[in-house]
Order: sequence, then structure tokens, then C-alpha cells
Amino acid sequence: MKIDLSGLGIDYGAILPELIVVGTAIVVLFLDLLLPVARRRWLPAVTVVGLLAALIASLPLWGQNRAAFADTVVADSLAAFFNVLLIVITILTVLISPRFLRALDLDHGEYYILLLGATAGMMLLAAATSLMTIFLGIELLSISLYVLSGFARSVPRSQESALKYLLLGGFATGFLLYGMALIYGATGSTTLRGIAAFAAASGAAGNVLLLLGIGFLSVGLAFKASAAPFHMWTPDVYEGAPTIVTTFMSVATKSAAFAAIGRVFIATFPSISARWYFPLALIAIFSLFIGNLVAIIEDNLKRILAYSGIAHAGYILLGILPGTAAGFSASVFYIAAYAVMNFGAFAVVTALGAGGEQTADINYWRGLFYRRPFLATVMTIFMLSLAGIPPTVGFFAKLFVFQALVNAQIWAPLVVAVVMTIVSFYYYLRVVVVMLATPEEAVSEQPRVGISTSGVLGVAALATIALGVFPTTVLDWASHAASLHF
Amino acid sequence: MSWYTLPTGVPWLTLVVVIPLAGALLVALTPGVARSVIKQLGVLSAGLSMLLAVAVIGGFQHGVGNLHFQFEESLRWIPSAGISYHLGVDGLSLFLLGLNALLFLIAVLVTDPEMPRFKQFMLLLLILEAATAGIMLSLDLILFYVFWEAMLVPLYFLIGVWGEGQRIYAAFKFLIYTVLGSFAMLIAILAVAAINFSQTGQLSFDWAQLIQHPASGMWHLPLGLGTLGIQQLLFLGFALAFAIKMPLFPLHTWLPAAYTASPIPVVIVLAGLVSKLGAYGFLRFNLALFPDAAHSLGPLLAVLAVIGILYGAFMALVQTDLKRLVAYASMSHLGFIGLGIFAGNLLGIEGSLVQMINHGVIIAALFLVVGMIERRAGTRDRAQLRGLGATAPLFAALFLVVSLAALGLPGLNGFVGEFLIMLGAWTAFVPLAVAAGIGVILAAWYVLRFYQGSMQEAPPEPTTFGEVRPIDGGVLAPLLALMVLIGVTPGFFPAAVEATVKALPVIVR
Repeated sequence: MKIDLSGLGIDYGAILPELIVVGTAIVVLFLDLLLPVARRRWLPAVTVVGLLAALIASLPLWGQNRAAFADTVVADSLAAFFNVLLIVITILTVLISPRFLRALDLDHGEYYILLLGATAGMMLLAAATSLMTIFLGIELLSISLYVLSGFARSVPRSQESALKYLLLGGFATGFLLYGMALIYGATGSTTLRGIAAFAAASGAAGNVLLLLGIGFLSVGLAFKASAAPFHMWTPDVYEGAPTIVTTFMSVATKSAAFAAIGRVFIATFPSISARWYFPLALIAIFSLFIGNLVAIIEDNLKRILAYSGIAHAGYILLGILPGTAAGFSASVFYIAAYAVMNFGAFAVVTALGAGGEQTADINYWRGLFYRRPFLATVMTIFMLSLAGIPPTVGFFAKLFVFQALVNAQIWAPLVVAVVMTIVSFYYYLRVVVVMLATPEEAVSEQPRVGISTSGVLGVAALATIALGVFPTTVLDWASHAASLHF
Repeated sequence: MSWYTLPTGVPWLTLVVVIPLAGALLVALTPGVARSVIKQLGVLSAGLSMLLAVAVIGGFQHGVGNLHFQFEESLRWIPSAGISYHLGVDGLSLFLLGLNALLFLIAVLVTDPEMPRFKQFMLLLLILEAATAGIMLSLDLILFYVFWEAMLVPLYFLIGVWGEGQRIYAAFKFLIYTVLGSFAMLIAILAVAAINFSQTGQLSFDWAQLIQHPASGMWHLPLGLGTLGIQQLLFLGFALAFAIKMPLFPLHTWLPAAYTASPIPVVIVLAGLVSKLGAYGFLRFNLALFPDAAHSLGPLLAVLAVIGILYGAFMALVQTDLKRLVAYASMSHLGFIGLGIFAGNLLGIEGSLVQMINHGVIIAALFLVVGMIERRAGTRDRAQLRGLGATAPLFAALFLVVSLAALGLPGLNGFVGEFLIMLGAWTAFVPLAVAAGIGVILAAWYVLRFYQGSMQEAPPEPTTFGEVRPIDGGVLAPLLALMVLIGVTPGFFPAAVEATVKALPVIVR
């Protein structure tokens, strides 16, 4: 019997970046096995080379709209945008990893394999146009991150965080899968194109099965984006996981999750936006409230940044609310901005934490300006940007989202966002004030930061300011990437 | 007419913003122990800015009106969002630019290089100068907002880190108030642009574009709570930001804390300049973008301004701390500026523009005097200071000129502005003008009591209160010169700004 595959649209070019990342993971796996211990330094180098190749392979996807594999993935500008973003985040993570891992005696090859696996999952999620591939991407990134969270095998906090993440993540996956089943049951299709066609037909807005399915699907996606009230895992996992892993997952996971949220809500269900507007607005408002208010009372930098990340999920969701490409482009710009500044902030925590993990306590940061002027200066830039103070990229991120809301005349969530932004000034500036305060007691000096770490931090800080002065190019990319269509 | 013509093709206004920034960059690259180098860098960049500001003022074509901006620079910045880099100067901003440069030069000069964390202090001061200059020059609303917010951070740290007493509390209160106002303004800015877009189909934040189509119509409150005029609503959004910065009663409660906690160089800038930016904002945006709302809400704000005059004056009367005394005096005098603006007529606005310069000059001089007294006598408590003039006659003489200017003696600058404002207010609302007049009388009371109490009478015990140092005389001299100069040529400033004021929409309508 001959199997006809011509209708499946097999097109390896469309998923070439993902293939390269997965291939690199396999190469690193074997190198880890074969290389003598002394040559382990090659692993990060090979990882970076592989990622750079994937980066280059992503560029031709820009401007295309190439559905492949029976409509399950698409090679379009949005996928290319997120591929580049995710790959850059991963490269920067790898660059600051070796020093941190060696200091904590965690320098194992699996780390890079898992990192690449998570990246591949995220890239797949950003390109997914079918419930199957969305699920595949989420599982690939989740399982890699479960292991990475518990990567510090001897540290109980790390173990606890991995277990918590696994259990809660499994629960969320259940919701996700159940939602997908309901949507399939209602529409008879697993591809977003088919579902969109069904949703566009009259009567879809009253289809309870479909609406329930969308609700459950949203729960699963909101969990990955750590939006409230599905954020419970975030502070504990961020705090317990090795800081380098937190750095990576706080920006990368959220980015990929929002790419999927955009594809689902903006491209698939615009016709029934009246149905999902209110629940989504509630999630955004919840995230803004919980993230910004709880961050005030936290004393641990990793937890402060975790709650700040929940708040930023709220801001990004606000851009989805208008249900238009213009609003979504504000969200996409916000994601890129958030990736730069939040990565930077966590990277500073990582750089300080290379000698042990208590350094995340805010008291350790007292007088940092006099001990570590460089780290304190870049941290100040990241904090100002997260607060949204010009001339940093965080300001324009908020501005464009607010502009989208004003243009769509969405007032109540806007007012909440504005008030909560004012609240957020308190905890972001608190970090800066603490770093400027006179230290009460001498703190044992930590080893200097290495060249690669300072380089990464410098690049992130420069990008934070440069994109705050010249946001045009990235904004244009974001609006091009956000113009989704089926 | 102008005194000379500056070469075209040079981005003069960008230079005004960039030079302090370049100075800040150089300071940042200098090691913190090289205090004298840092000081010289600061003086150099503030001095260059001063020269540049003088050059721009001299090269300005006076008498050109009809909303013509000069030294205009316009570049595409974020076209897809309708945001441009648009700088320009007109009668509203021209002399403020000079005041900006002068006060920052003085602030840099009086900063003690031996203070802790001097480098960071200088760095923030120079960044602040760039931000305030940008505020005066921006003709794009988002660009304006960027500078407006950028001003906040240096001020927050200057008060919170180098302040005295309850500095953290003061800095934080200042921050929260200011940010609250800023965000109200930001939403109003976005709404103005959205309304303009719906009317013209052009997405733009350009001031000159936006004033051509003032918002109109009513906004229906949810739940049937009634309707609000959209223009009034937007007016209030901007007004909140500016009223807090100025500050107008009852949004002034951050002022005593912040002014008292700030070190002298910072309070010179804060009281002398930043308060004026609030007034400038009212003129540039509220009166231009929302002329109808300015007419309907002007009287209300004028009442608040007069309350501020009287409240500030009464509070100044009962203060024993000289810094707090001057802080309340500043608030009282700012009420006059507000009154002139909200009178909404030619005389009132011209008077307030003149008074903005006067207030900056006088309040800076008063705070300098307070700083000098405190450094020599070791206290700012009015009750403990007496007869200081006995051993420092020159100091007493300089202080006397400042005091007389502050209470509005004819022949000195304070009189020129206050008189014009009173004329303007009289034509608009007589009772308010009368009430403001009481403020003038109270000013004479608290200023003279301050002067007589500290300088005259016999010292209780032999005092070692020293004479002015050259640096003290040096920073006071330009301020005193301006007080006399403006006082004896009262027609100069109003004539220079008249063309611009006449073209303001609030006057035209």
C-alpha cells in the first residue's frame, strides 16, 4: 500500500530554525558524552553556534505566510520575530551561564541540552497554528523547564520549586488539553484556520461548548504567561530555581506564551471578541493588581521581580483587549521591551548570586553603588525601564499599550493600569534607593563579574536606553509581525 | 527685530539639551575622587549652556507672532505612532530658557565639592538641566512628556539622597504627587491625539497641529451619571499635572516637605525653575489646546490661585524656619503667576510671563541668602538670628535689595510683574484682584520681618557672622542685576512676548 503524503504540505524549510535548535541539542548531547571533562568549555560554544545558525535561518521567514504540515505550523513574520527574540534571549543566557554554573558546581552538559529543548518548544509554540502543535510546544518547553528548575540537585529550595512547577504545571496542562478537546468537539477541527472559520459563522458566539473550550484553553495559556489568578507558582518557582534558569524562563516562557495567546485571540477568535473581552480584561486587571501590590511587601529581589513579571503580563494582555492588530502590535513591542529589561534585571541578580543564593535578599543590595558601581548602574537602568520612566524602552512599551486602549476607548482597564503603574514606582525605585543607601555593615566581597557577563549586561542596558530613544524600528517590526491573517 | 542673526543650519536648541547631557557623560566617566575636575566640568557645561541660551535670546526675532516658532527643528521620530522630534522657541519659552541656564549655573557654582557623593550629585544636576530645557523647547506632546518624566528621577534622588531631615518621606511624597499628575496628563495627551485623529484622519502629537482642532462635544458618564464637556475633561487632565508641579492650592502639600528637605542647589532649581514649568505648561497647553475650557474653568483656578496667595502668605508669617518661610513665600508668589494666567487676558498673561522670570530670580536669591545665613550662623531658626548685619554690612545690603524685590517695591522687578497681573486680574474678576492685593501687603510683612529680625537690631552677643565671600557675591550679582534691570525697563519683557501672547488661542477667542 502506498501512502500519499502530498496533501500534508511537508515543508522542512518552514521549521528549519526549530530543526536546527533540536539538532544542536542532539549534537551537544553527544559531545557531552564523548568530550573529556577538560573540554566541557566547548559545550556553550557549540550551543551558541547552533543558535546563531537558527537565528540566520529564521530571517528568511520574515514577510512570508507559509503554512506547512497540514496547517499545523506557519512560517510568518510573527514566528520569525519571536524566533529571533527567543534565540537572542537563549544566546545571552548561555553567555552568562558558565560562570554561574561553575560557581554553584552545576556545570553539567544537560543544562545546555535542556535549554535548547525549551527554546525549541517555545519557537514551536510561537509558530503553532494547530491545537496539536500548541500542545506539543507547551509540553516541550514545560518539561525542559521542570528539570531545569530542579537543576540544583543538592539545594532543597530548587527541588521544591521543580516539584511545585511540575504539579501545578501538570494541572494547567490538564485544563489546556480539556479545553482543546472541547474546542475540537465543538468545531470538528484542530487547526486554528478551521476553528476560525467555524467561529466566524453565525451562532458561534452562543456555542457553549466552544466558549467553555476557549475558557479552559485560556487558563492553560495564562498559566504559562503567569497571569493572575493563575500565577501562584511563579514567585516560588522563580525564587527556588537557579537564578540563571529564572532569568531565562521569566522572559522566554512569557514571550512564547503571548505569541500563542495572540494567535488564538487575535487571529482565531476575533469574531467572538465580545465573548472573551470581559474574562480577559479581568485576568489583566487581576494581574496588574496582584503583581504590583504584592511586589511592595516582598524583600527578595527574585520574588519582587516575579510579581513584577505578573504585573507585566497584565500590561501585555491589555494590548490584546482591543482585539485588533494595532493593539496586538503594542503587545508584541511590549514583549520585546520586557524581554530586554527583565532579562537584564535578572541577569544582575545572577551576576551577584554567583557566590551563593542569599544575595537575592534586598539587604544585600544596600550600598551596592559603592561596592559594584557597574552592576548598580545597569540595575538602575533596568528598574527605571520596568517602571516605565523615559527615556527607556519600558516607557514606550507602556505608552503604545495605553495608546491602543485610548484609541479603542477602553477606559476601566486603562485607569487600573495607570494607577498600578504609579504603585509600581514604589518598589522599583525602592531597589535603587537601597543601592544608594550607606551600607550598615561590611559585606563579604564577591568575585568580580566576568567579561561575558559585563558584556551581556552592558548590551542589555544599552538596548534598554537605545530602544527608549529610537523605538521606531522595533515598533515597525512589531506591527508587521502582529498583522496576523489567515 | 533681533540683535543679531545666528547662523542657520546649526541645531541650536538640540545643543541646549545636549550640552548638559554631554557634561553629565563626562562627569560619569571621571573618577569620583577627582572632585575639582568634576566641579570644573559641571561649571563648564552649565556655563556653555548659559552662553548658548544668551545667544538664542539675542538671535530671537522679537515681535514675530502668529504662533511662529524660531530655531525650529523637526525630525521624524516614531512616524507610525505620530510622534516627532519637534523643538522650537517662542515668546512663552524664550526667557525661561535663559532662567533655566542661569539658575543651573548658580546651582552648580554653589554646590560644595566636598559633599558626599559629589560626582553623582553633579551628574544628576546636569541631567536635570537637560530635561528642564527639553520641557521648554518641546513642541511634540509626547516629546514634552518624555522630558517631563525624565525630570522626575533626578529630582527624586537629589532630594532623597542628599536632602536633610525627612528626606525619604519628602522625596517619596514629591514622587507620588508628581507621577499622579503626569499620568493624568499622559492619558489626556493620548485622548487629544485620538480626538484629533478622528477629526482629521491624521495621527499627530504635534502642538501646532493639535491646536487647530480643539476638542468639542460631551462625554456621557457611564450609568447615566450625567455628561461632562470633553474639552473640560482634557483640560483638567493637563491641569492636574501642572497644578501639582506649580503647585496650586490644595495640591501643594508636598511643597513644604520637599523644599525644606532639599539641599540649597536643588531647592534653587526646584523653587526657581521647576515650579515655573507648571506655569509654563498651563500657558503652552491648557490655554492653547483648550481655549473654551480655559474660559469656563479659568475663574475656578483663579480662585485657587488667590487662595494659594493668601494661604502661602499666612503660612510664611508663622514660620520660624527660614527655609520653610521662603518655601511658603514662593508658593504665595506663585499664586500671582497663576492668577495672571487664569485671568486669560493679554495683561494678565504678559504679567505672569514676566513674573515667572522675576519669581525665579527672587526666590533663587532668597534661598541663596538662607543658605548663606545657615552656613555662617549655623541655624535657620528665625528666633535665634539677630543683628547679623552689624558685622556683615555688605551682605545686609544685598539681602535688602532681594527683600525689597520680593515684596514688590516699584523700581525693582517684582513690582513689574505683580502690577501687570493685578491689572489683568482687575479686568477679569475684581474681587479676586482685591484679595490678591492683601497678599502683597502680607508679603511686605513677612519679608521685612525676616530681614529686620535677622539683620537689624543689636546682636544679643558678639557675633562672628562673616561678610560675603566672593563666590556668594558672584552668584548673587547676576540675580541682583536682573532685579534692577527688569525693574527699570518694565516695558522690555511685555513687549518681547506680546506678539506670541496675542496669538494664543485663549486670547484670540
